[in-house]
Amino acid sequence: MMRWDKKIKLLFLLPAVIWVLTLTIAPLFFSLYLSFTDVTREVIITGETLVPILDKEGKPKTRSDGTVRTKRIKDKELKIKYDWVGLKKYKRVVNDKEYQDAAKFTFIYVIVSVVIEIILGLFLAFLFNRRIYGRGFMRSLMILPIFATPFAIGFMFFTILFEVSGPLAWMGIPFLSNHHWAPFSVMLVDIWQWTPFCFLVFLAALQGIPEDLIEAATLDTKSAYKVWTSVILPLLQPIIVLVILLRIAESAKLYDYIASLTKGGPGTATQSVSFLVFNKAFKMNDFGYASAGSFLMLIAVMIVVMLFFTQLRKTYE
Amino acid sequence: MNRNQGSLLTSIYTIIALAITMIFFFPLWWSFSNSLRIPKETFTVTGVGVPFINFTPTLGNWQHQLSFPEAQLALTNSSVIAILSTLLAVVVGLPAAYALARFRFRFPPNKDITIWFISQRVLPPAAAVVPFFMIWNMLGIYDTKFSMILVQTTFIMPFVIVIVRQTFIDLPIELEEAAMVDGATHIGAFLKVAVPLSIPAIAAASLIMFTFAWNDYFFASVLTMKNFTLPIWAASDVGTRGIHFWFMAVKTMIAIVLPLILCLFAQRYIVRGLTLGAVKG
Repeated sequence: MMRWDKKIKLLFLLPAVIWVLTLTIAPLFFSLYLSFTDVTREVIITGETLVPILDKEGKPKTRSDGTVRTKRIKDKELKIKYDWVGLKKYKRVVNDKEYQDAAKFTFIYVIVSVVIEIILGLFLAFLFNRRIYGRGFMRSLMILPIFATPFAIGFMFFTILFEVSGPLAWMGIPFLSNHHWAPFSVMLVDIWQWTPFCFLVFLAALQGIPEDLIEAATLDTKSAYKVWTSVILPLLQPIIVLVILLRIAESAKLYDYIASLTKGGPGTATQSVSFLVFNKAFKMNDFGYASAGSFLMLIAVMIVVMLFFTQLRKTYE
Repeated sequence: MNRNQGSLLTSIYTIIALAITMIFFFPLWWSFSNSLRIPKETFTVTGVGVPFINFTPTLGNWQHQLSFPEAQLALTNSSVIAILSTLLAVVVGLPAAYALARFRFRFPPNKDITIWFISQRVLPPAAAVVPFFMIWNMLGIYDTKFSMILVQTTFIMPFVIVIVRQTFIDLPIELEEAAMVDGATHIGAFLKVAVPLSIPAIAAASLIMFTFAWNDYFFASVLTMKNFTLPIWAASDVGTRGIHFWFMAVKTMIAIVLPLILCLFAQRYIVRGLTLGAVKG
């Protein structure tokens, strides 16, 4: 650590802090305020103006008698009214069957996909940590999904899972049209995109374990199973916990896949909290409901993060 | 274990690994192959759709889609927003990364500041998007590239801070001290010594940030109307005259091809970046 004077320290740190404060904390407080209000957005027509009609070159069009052709344009003003309603919106959200279903779906989605991703990622990492041919090449192919545009991925899987004649149609599974199967199809997309991430992190962690440690353990116990459970898994544990945390936080945001793959359907079978909140805000114009709904979700995610907080703090020591 | 048994095992593991890799690669391959087929061959193609073997490839779909002014507008918008917000995030985030690596803050301590920066990645965008929508409307900058750049910069900044912070920590501090003994100022030591030595990490962080800004759909779908980005454009074709699988494939490819190529360059830093600096990789 350098002993530099205070002003320089702050000069380096403050721009980023101020930037993030203004653009995340301020909107969040505004959102908190909105969740206690009834917002009405009204377009009021205040008058009319006559505007000349322009042709392609930007000159006003004229009638045969030489007068300029005009059109009437209404002068509009957007009036936003905020009425304080206390906890009304929260009560509505909590009692709303649609919100409960969305929360339930999001919860199950997060648990199932994260568990499968972790297990599959661990398995793949163990596999790739052995001596195999063409490891670098296969590793590069494996990690391609991580950075693919999630929204476009939804479309991609729409083609893959197309039930009439898609490449998986021979399985005869109603991937997208059945309300029992559709949630799994969305999970499948998540698993496809994020298992490679878990795999990559675990592989990096495995390769960081000194080999003589494993050799010593192997000589000691002579059982590969014991080496895994008593040496390797404990060493990987902090990283596994961190990956679980990151994946929970990311996959709870679920929006892009369903926006392109199922649009929340069939019915509301794959409607996530984000998706519901988005629709409430921008299709039904209920900003109070949307803010209350997303705050409840924020609290849920925060609780999960807090559970891992001590571990997280150790990581950035 | 004798050598024969060893190489047999290696072969078996290779086959398993290859099979799994192929399964994961298949959707991308299918989409790519689909974009090269004429519409009626979308679902009639045999095998796994290898061009020239299973069907005669054509660039018709690509030409058709790229000829629209909307496509060009979306491409330009996406590029401008992603590039500028990445640059901004680097300019604002680098000094902060340096400060967190080199100076000690008492209150709050360094690790808590770092965690606070990271916590933005945890924030559900649904909670932030409504206020953004209303505030941008009030300020009259709704549906501009400028407002999109502001939003994207905020949410990608944690990447540069956590990735480069670790690189700065790993740099020997003596280099900067030597530069300062030679008369450089604090800022000079940072700009002329620390930054040039961290270029690979900064480049990798930039690629990752670019990708995240490029891939965003949630904010773009709310905060843009006429200045739409690539993912919004990709959604525009659905529902007008049924699903055009062949055009959908082209649009998917246009959206994802750049991130895929970039990510191969940033491979070494992906682990550190996406675990937000917690795993060095």
